[in-house]
Amino acid sequence: MFYFIARRSFFAVILLFVVSIFTFWIFSALPADPAALTCGKNCRPEVIEANRIRLGYDKPFIEQYGSYMKGIFVGRTYGEDESGVHCAAPSLGYSYDRHECVSSLVAKTLPVTASIAFGAFVLWMVFGIALGTLAALRRGKWPDHFATVFSVIGISFPSFFLGLLSVLFFVIWTKILPFPNYVGITENPFEWFTALILPWSVLALLSASTYIRLTRNGILEVMNEEFVRLGIAKGLPRKKLIVKYVLRAALTPIATIAGIDLAFLLGGAIVTESVFNLPGLGKLTIAAVVNSDLPILVATTLISALFIVVANAFVDIMYGFLDPRVRTK
Amino acid sequence: MKHNRIIAAIATAGIFLSACGGSGMNAQSGEESGGRSASLDGAQDGGTLHVLTFQEGASTLDPQRVYTGAELGAWGSTFTRTLTSYQPVAGEDGTNLVADMATDLGTASDDLKTWTFTLRDGLTWEDGSEVTCADIAYGVSRTFAAEVTAGEGPLYALSYLNIPEGDSDFGSAYPGPWLADEEQQALFDAAVQCDGQNITFNLQVPVADFNYTVGLLAFAPVPKDKDTADQYGLAPFSNGPFRVESYEEGVELVLVRNENWNADSDPVRKPLLDEIIWQFGVDEAVIDERMLADAGEDKNTIVYGGILPENLQTVFGDDSLKDRRTDGFDGFVSYTMFNVETVNCLEVRQAVWLALDREALRTAAGGPFTGEFATSFVAPLLAADYEPAKLVDGLNEDGTANVEAAIAMMEKAKEACPDLHARTTGEGLRFDHPDSATWQKNIAIWIDSLGAAGIKIIDNPIEPSKYYSSINGDRGDLMRAGWAADWANASTVIPELFSKDGGFNYHNNEGDPAFAAFQTKVDEAKAETDRSKQSKLWKELNQYVMDQVWSIPGSATKSQNLVGSNVRGAYQWKPFGWYNLGAIGLAG
Repeated sequence: MFYFIARRSFFAVILLFVVSIFTFWIFSALPADPAALTCGKNCRPEVIEANRIRLGYDKPFIEQYGSYMKGIFVGRTYGEDESGVHCAAPSLGYSYDRHECVSSLVAKTLPVTASIAFGAFVLWMVFGIALGTLAALRRGKWPDHFATVFSVIGISFPSFFLGLLSVLFFVIWTKILPFPNYVGITENPFEWFTALILPWSVLALLSASTYIRLTRNGILEVMNEEFVRLGIAKGLPRKKLIVKYVLRAALTPIATIAGIDLAFLLGGAIVTESVFNLPGLGKLTIAAVVNSDLPILVATTLISALFIVVANAFVDIMYGFLDPRVRTK
Repeated sequence: MKHNRIIAAIATAGIFLSACGGSGMNAQSGEESGGRSASLDGAQDGGTLHVLTFQEGASTLDPQRVYTGAELGAWGSTFTRTLTSYQPVAGEDGTNLVADMATDLGTASDDLKTWTFTLRDGLTWEDGSEVTCADIAYGVSRTFAAEVTAGEGPLYALSYLNIPEGDSDFGSAYPGPWLADEEQQALFDAAVQCDGQNITFNLQVPVADFNYTVGLLAFAPVPKDKDTADQYGLAPFSNGPFRVESYEEGVELVLVRNENWNADSDPVRKPLLDEIIWQFGVDEAVIDERMLADAGEDKNTIVYGGILPENLQTVFGDDSLKDRRTDGFDGFVSYTMFNVETVNCLEVRQAVWLALDREALRTAAGGPFTGEFATSFVAPLLAADYEPAKLVDGLNEDGTANVEAAIAMMEKAKEACPDLHARTTGEGLRFDHPDSATWQKNIAIWIDSLGAAGIKIIDNPIEPSKYYSSINGDRGDLMRAGWAADWANASTVIPELFSKDGGFNYHNNEGDPAFAAFQTKVDEAKAETDRSKQSKLWKELNQYVMDQVWSIPGSATKSQNLVGSNVRGAYQWKPFGWYNLGAIGLAG
């Protein structure tokens, strides 16, 4: 088992390394000139060149990449005179558009995204699995029909539409909720909750649809397995059979997908954060796209990749625990 | 001034008055001043004003970097005072220059190369310390620091102050306070001298309206010990009635009352509010719905960014919103520059103008609410210097192309300049423009409408971030641009766009036979101290440029806004094309 974990972790690190090089390369190959982007209307070529040197964009690609990676571990200073800016480790670059170290921006926005992601994750898992289980156990009856209709609606509507609709209904028309205005959970837990209830609900509604179908189909499939039929034949109580044996078997593949979905969401719920004006990683990314803020784009892409790679590795390792056959392959 | 960072391609700053008279716009669009919300009737002391915007943040709060009309007015009225400012009233009087930190509008030497201002007593920073002449000099010196200001703000300090050219990134012998050695610093100290309460600016050229120049925030004070260079815009130090409590891009900007502001030292600002909270990054559709619903704290809310085109009919078709809505010019004029060196034939330039379907371009942009066909390079807001010019003969007033007239003009061009005629109808004229979604639509209209007159266009889209640096070197035959006045004088329009020393003159027009007479008259206008005579000269120069067709005017652009029902004093402050933020109050 130790060898399996070590091997899987090693490949995750290699993958991250490759992803970081590719990400860095793809943004450096864009037609946008990051040095020119730091300048205003009066930007003379001399100013652009000076900024190019200050930001290190005059160096060969490999050297730029090396400086970037080094900055992550030891920090980095941009500019040499007294007007220079130092970004402490882990330095992810300096945004000349926002005049801040990218790591500071990430530190501010990641908790927002994490709040959205974990809250929505809990909601959609609980709701999706519960309704999916109910639909499977009441197959062909109204709970099943309800779950099917609910899933179709959830999958069909785009998040921006549901988001705007929920704002219009709950905030503007009925005034049941205030307009989401994020505050930290430690600052004011109640306001934190009221700011996030709508985004959680919208994300949960969208994702739960998938999990309802997966759970329903998974349970129905497991119900036909021989060990379930054996349990029924031996007179095992239905509740115990469902909870202890059927659900456990049916939910294993769902847990895999859930891990990846959560990691994906941690990289930034771009649309949801934009619609509800939540200052998370997704909104930071979309603003960077609009402003061609390459240092932020590189950093947020790397962070998203990090979440996905780590989640994949984690799921693989967990699979190794759950299914010994994986370890020996 | 930049419109906003998304369309930062557009150039410069402030703006001015509406005297447009007959507008020719359709029934949907007309100037509206805001009714009751523009007056202070019922306004009380205190309260929190909310500002909603789709933008992720301010362009900057750094006084030496800010170059957006609305922000110049907003920061100037709240936390950054300057030597001079504008009268805080609605209408044409709002363009009147008034003394702010200075005791008067300054004293100029006879040759207009030396200007002296005396600071008022009792000027204070937000920590209660005194605002000194040295603080102003230091603030001005920051403009020279290319590594900090990065060419974002206006560069009048560089072009006006008597400091020789040199090898700094801005081409000055003074590289700014961070890089200067003692000798270089002495050059600046000689150009900006402090003597007690007096500050003297020594200029290398005569400037008749330098007292307007120092009203720009680029000439605002900055305390050296509080300067954080590139990051100063995140927490600027206040010397006005409000101070920056917090600013986080993508989240909010909170301005609260500055308890150490000395009202006795400030004859301009009469603040009523306790707090102003900007909320950034709000979806535009949500903003419009909230403003229309006008519920809760949205009654105390204004918007920075306008109304979505699809909601304009709703807002302007409902008379109950009359006291909450505004519709007016924002001070910008869009235009298309000719490279006069390569398109050196008046007939060809006139033919291009005649063949252009300006109405199609306006429709593509959103129709009459977006603006009126410009008849001057000076915006209608700049009342004193604005006068519709006589346009080229045959130009259709409704903005549509006059293909027949264009073809006839091209026939004349065939005689006058056969080589250029052949290139125009054969290879084509190269059109440089930012590679944006808007311009992908616009260029198709240009190609189609000019093609009907036999004029060919070579499309040359340029990555937006490189647009101006690109045309700084390699210029096409045609280039798009936009401009607004930096202060209430066409001295920041006509010379800037068309003269020898113009900071934004991409026309390559110095070789044109008509240029010498133009430049002589520009120099005369710049040195004219009689404002009415100077206005007359600007109008004549505008007509002269129009006759030479060095550029084709596009639109005098407009913006529309809706405020909450409790908002008072939200008048459009003409110099900046937006509200006088610091003067707004709340009723109820």
